[in-house]
Amino acid sequence: MIDVKNLSKSFGDHMVLDNLSEHIYPGEKVVIIGPSGSGKSTFLRCLNLLETPTTGVITFDGDEITNPKVDINRIRQKMGMGFQHVNLFNNMTIRKNITLAPVQTGLMTKDEANEEATRLLQRVDLLEKADAYPSQLSGGQKQRIAIVRALAMKPKVMLFDEPTSALDPEMVGEVLQVMRELANDGMTMAVVTHEMGFAREVGTRILFMDGGKILEQNTPQEFFAHPQEQRTIDFLKSVL
Amino acid sequence: MENYLLWQELMRDTATMDQVSWWQEFYVYFYQAFIEGDRWMQYLRGVGTTLVVTAMALVLGIVLGVLVAMVRTAHDQQRAGKHNPILGFFNGICKVYVTVIRGTPMMVQLLIMGFVIFSSSRSYTMIGALTLGINSGAYVAEIIRGGLMSLDPGQMEAGRSLGLSYGKTMRFIVIPQAFKAILPSLGNEFIILLKDTSLITVIGGKELVHAAQSIYGRTYGQMFPLIGVACVYLVLVMIFTWLVGILERRLRQSDRR
Repeated sequence: MIDVKNLSKSFGDHMVLDNLSEHIYPGEKVVIIGPSGSGKSTFLRCLNLLETPTTGVITFDGDEITNPKVDINRIRQKMGMGFQHVNLFNNMTIRKNITLAPVQTGLMTKDEANEEATRLLQRVDLLEKADAYPSQLSGGQKQRIAIVRALAMKPKVMLFDEPTSALDPEMVGEVLQVMRELANDGMTMAVVTHEMGFAREVGTRILFMDGGKILEQNTPQEFFAHPQEQRTIDFLKSVL
Repeated sequence: MENYLLWQELMRDTATMDQVSWWQEFYVYFYQAFIEGDRWMQYLRGVGTTLVVTAMALVLGIVLGVLVAMVRTAHDQQRAGKHNPILGFFNGICKVYVTVIRGTPMMVQLLIMGFVIFSSSRSYTMIGALTLGINSGAYVAEIIRGGLMSLDPGQMEAGRSLGLSYGKTMRFIVIPQAFKAILPSLGNEFIILLKDTSLITVIGGKELVHAAQSIYGRTYGQMFPLIGVACVYLVLVMIFTWLVGILERRLRQSDRR
């Protein structure tokens, strides 16, 4: 579904991604872990071109998205993204946050989008907040809403960039629950996270990144039970 | 009226001047400055011109400011490697404009516009409004650009990640939030603009200060016309501040907790 070939990204002299190739298949839940500065967030952000790769080719559903001529807005409509810092639109109510993109991109009429928003808000149990502003919600509530805001575009794949890292500990659970349900519904997902429990339980494949390369990958069972590389063993020792 | 003429007569002569008390003197000067020959009408016309010039300069300033800020921000926010040469060209023009306008005194700009560029024109007030608008545009552009740049880049990223175009993300998400943030600075800029309209007297614009000048040119009593004019500016600015305050409170709606 997403094919990455020889992807490199540098910021000035600093090489963040080093000639990386990978393929994400439909229905997979790929969990990307690694120490900070390993390039995992940059890798994820390259997938929907929030970062422009220095070299390399990324193909999504047959479209070569690294081609400058491709309409990136059309591609991004099919790739949802969850951010560490949530990034709800602070000037709009929750309902407007959810309906803005579907209406403005022509995916739905206003009524359809409103109906969809109601349905999605019910799903995360936050319908009573529809007319509230983001500043009135807790961090966990905001992140759940940010996820359904992305789902309103009916994406084929969801990218998550450390969605629970900026949350208070007691709010992590509710957000992971929404992501778990999403995974059970068969959504293709790529998740950068530090939640090892979630990686083990929901992931179908774990990528371990360090120094801009994918050092090791395996199924969660194998990965956590029998890590191969010394770097992986050290990392797991420090986080588990 | 009769009192005025009587006391004025007494004041003219040093021998009889002692017969006039201080408040009678005050009355004479006040009458001279504002009432005699319906002079208050001159001030009123002056205020009218001041407000018209301010309004025209304001509109021109905002239009120019928004255009320049959009070009500059769009240019600076381009993705690396996707450099648009046309945008680069306009960005260059905008940079020169801002540099020249901010780098030269307003008074000099007015003199150049009035006596060099439009030396054959007689509509001084219009030239004044045009110059002020062009001047204000440079400052407004930097205020708007600052507001657009200061907003958390995550807001733009979130909009783009949903598939919204750059323009739509700007229009629905970035600009409304930036506008709220820059409103106090914009209000300040417009207060400065209102007061700077007084400068157009140097090229013959007939606004409020010009009215005062032409009156004390006749009566030789400078104090009352000038203090009167100062009071009018003060009141105008206070009204304006109040209006901006109302707008700010209204826009703060989404901040309520």
